[in-house]
Amino acid sequence: MQSGLMNTYQHAASRRAWVAWTLSAFLFLAYVLLYFGPVPALGLRFDLLQRTAEAVGAALGLPPVFHSKWILYGTVYTLAMVVGGAFVLRRHGNSRYQLVRTATVVSVQVVFAFLLPIVLQVFGRHEYYFTYFWPLKIEYFYPSVILRHPFLMISWSFLGSLVAFPLLAFFLGKRFYCSWVCGCGGLANTFGEPFRHLSSKSTRAWSVEKVSVHSVLFLALVTTAIVWVNWAVGKEHPGFAAFAFRLQDWYGFAIGAMFSGVLGVGLYPLMGTRVWCRFGCPMAALLGLVQKLGRFRITVKKDMCISCGNCSTYCEMGIDVRQYAMANQTFTRAACVGCGMCAHVCPRGVLKLENAPIRWKAGQPIRVYAVDL
Amino acid sequence: MHYVILGNGAAGMEAALALRARDAEGRITLVSDEHDHFFSRPALMYVFAGQTSLRDTEPHDRGLYDRMRFERKSGRVASVDAPGHALVFEGGSRLGYDRLLLAVGSKGRRAPWPGSEGPGLHYFVTLRDLEALDREATKGRRAAVLGGGLIGVEVAEVLHDRGLHVSFVIREGWYFPVALDRNEATLVAEHVRAHGVDVRLGATVDSVRRGDDGRIHSVRLAGGDEVAADLVVSAIGVVPNTAFLAKSAVTLAPNGAIETDEALRTLAPDVWAAGDCANVTWFDGSRRPEQLWYTARDQGRLAALSMLGDDVAYRRGTWYNSAKFFDMEYTTVGHVPASIGPDGEPVVPPPELRIWFQRVPGRFESQRIVVEGDRVVGFTLLGSRWNHEPLLDWIHERRSLDWVLGHLKDAQFDEEFSRRFRVVAGAGVV
Repeated sequence: MQSGLMNTYQHAASRRAWVAWTLSAFLFLAYVLLYFGPVPALGLRFDLLQRTAEAVGAALGLPPVFHSKWILYGTVYTLAMVVGGAFVLRRHGNSRYQLVRTATVVSVQVVFAFLLPIVLQVFGRHEYYFTYFWPLKIEYFYPSVILRHPFLMISWSFLGSLVAFPLLAFFLGKRFYCSWVCGCGGLANTFGEPFRHLSSKSTRAWSVEKVSVHSVLFLALVTTAIVWVNWAVGKEHPGFAAFAFRLQDWYGFAIGAMFSGVLGVGLYPLMGTRVWCRFGCPMAALLGLVQKLGRFRITVKKDMCISCGNCSTYCEMGIDVRQYAMANQTFTRAACVGCGMCAHVCPRGVLKLENAPIRWKAGQPIRVYAVDL
Repeated sequence: MHYVILGNGAAGMEAALALRARDAEGRITLVSDEHDHFFSRPALMYVFAGQTSLRDTEPHDRGLYDRMRFERKSGRVASVDAPGHALVFEGGSRLGYDRLLLAVGSKGRRAPWPGSEGPGLHYFVTLRDLEALDREATKGRRAAVLGGGLIGVEVAEVLHDRGLHVSFVIREGWYFPVALDRNEATLVAEHVRAHGVDVRLGATVDSVRRGDDGRIHSVRLAGGDEVAADLVVSAIGVVPNTAFLAKSAVTLAPNGAIETDEALRTLAPDVWAAGDCANVTWFDGSRRPEQLWYTARDQGRLAALSMLGDDVAYRRGTWYNSAKFFDMEYTTVGHVPASIGPDGEPVVPPPELRIWFQRVPGRFESQRIVVEGDRVVGFTLLGSRWNHEPLLDWIHERRSLDWVLGHLKDAQFDEEFSRRFRVVAGAGVV
């Protein structure tokens, strides 16, 4: 058995009991305060988190650049990942894949998504996140942002989004980003670990996911295109410029703040940790399409599955892995972020994440379970 | 045509699906007194562990019964009226069939020790067993797990994780002697002890001791030692769940299993049997049930074809299986001589077999390769993951030991970044 996962269903926080609802409400509130500052509807007339950040900054005698709720947020976020990462390693450190992956995603967060942006600001530069790329970080392809940053960072951004990412996703699967580098995935796989089994495995959820995540991708492409067209011709067409501005604004609010932040994290204790990654992230959608064409796969060992359901239960992306395992079907799903937990928790060692060219060619199946349903 | 399947387990469900795949019109009824939905029996242990919910262990979505037009009947069958082509339920109601599949599975072998009968003595086979044990297995209590097999080690692990003080009492001199040799069993025992379980080897149970109030307080061992225990789990194997057939025309073998021919027909007309409850022919010619998940599915599917009128024969393939002892992976493939026979008596390994063995230093990991003449015939691999498919191929291709050792790493199935197989100093034929 996987000792770390035993008792999962006995913990109130992990089975949607009141603790989970309370935590969810707290996360919702925290994100609303973070993104929207004063919320008159809630009787809050000032930016609580900004005031807190200023008070903390002053109390610690930090330079003014640190008196920011975003730095406070980054600190709490990174801390949650470090503590969550330690928790994951206590549970799953017996797997070297989980060990290396968790150490990597936490280190990337600390260095590239936390320290480096602060250092840039301390030296008077615009903050820049070297591990976030278009279309997840949609503004990195906006002309206004491009013009603001040095050539080096822009090259990094363009080469990453358009060349390196498709290639890496083809050869390694989208996991190279979603569960090794990305901060959203990083938080899910550390702080969110006690909630990973709460994702819905129903075929209905799968249908919703396909429509939803590809719609957001489409929206991201359209928004980027319109912002560019506006940059080129907006001066001559004030009506279009107003539309472009509203769209850009709306995308930032609906997708950036509400979906990835408020819902994405707020729903952790109720719907699992990858709500944003699964239903919303345009980068995940794009890399998923490449993954379907690429080498990454989950190899299924024939006729060894006992249908226990641990793989499906602990799939944070809601993939019903068991169906493939029972049918002796090696598979690649666009949604799979390659966290490796299905393989790790399988009590019969049936599953293996692979991206090497197929080395051992299977002969005839020993048995075929396929009964057409 | 009305197909009735008694038992809603792996063999029964697989048979129902195979019947429906070929017969879109026939009426198919699944009868069970355990649960309305097919669940994975080996997964009951994960429910007990709190690692999954019972719902998580259902392999199919709940719409399957409607989609497949499987009727369900809940109730306990008292007997089979074979001449009258009907099941007779407790209470007297009847359910007629045209063709009947008995897929009634196993139940825990009854604890034979004096004092066993009564509260606090548990088994771990059925959902009812799980519910009963789940209620009593509370933190701080003392539990004795009797029986050194696969269920025993898993129950011990979960009880330990739930905060009970666990004694794991094994009659034989080492753990799991039907499959492991002394070296391997020592490794497993070390691993289990390292987790804090009190492993008692070579300990024959004399009796279960109860106080005046009828509650268990200890297990007495032959020789007089007492193991303090508030509850006892008897995990000494399973027996076919066939007592209700005793007076029917369905003939039972002396081991309690249903006798079948190679098409899984029983001696009663229009009655078939599959899974844990059916005797089949093993590689050594003996007639025994195969108590495995994948063979239950195989037999269920084959029985369905037989019920549909196909001319089929059940042939057991080369043996393989896997399990997990706490954190230790275990894979076995091919012919690995047992240290004890099915009757519990010690077995002397045949002299024509040679054993190549290595234990990886500093780790709970070992490999044993069984060689007959100059060809490899079997594997027992502990502490790492293996793909049994190439191993089966190599056995069928009659590969030599040197060839197999040179290629073994290709069959390794561990997660990425895991340590790769290599031959260590001191490895060799023992």
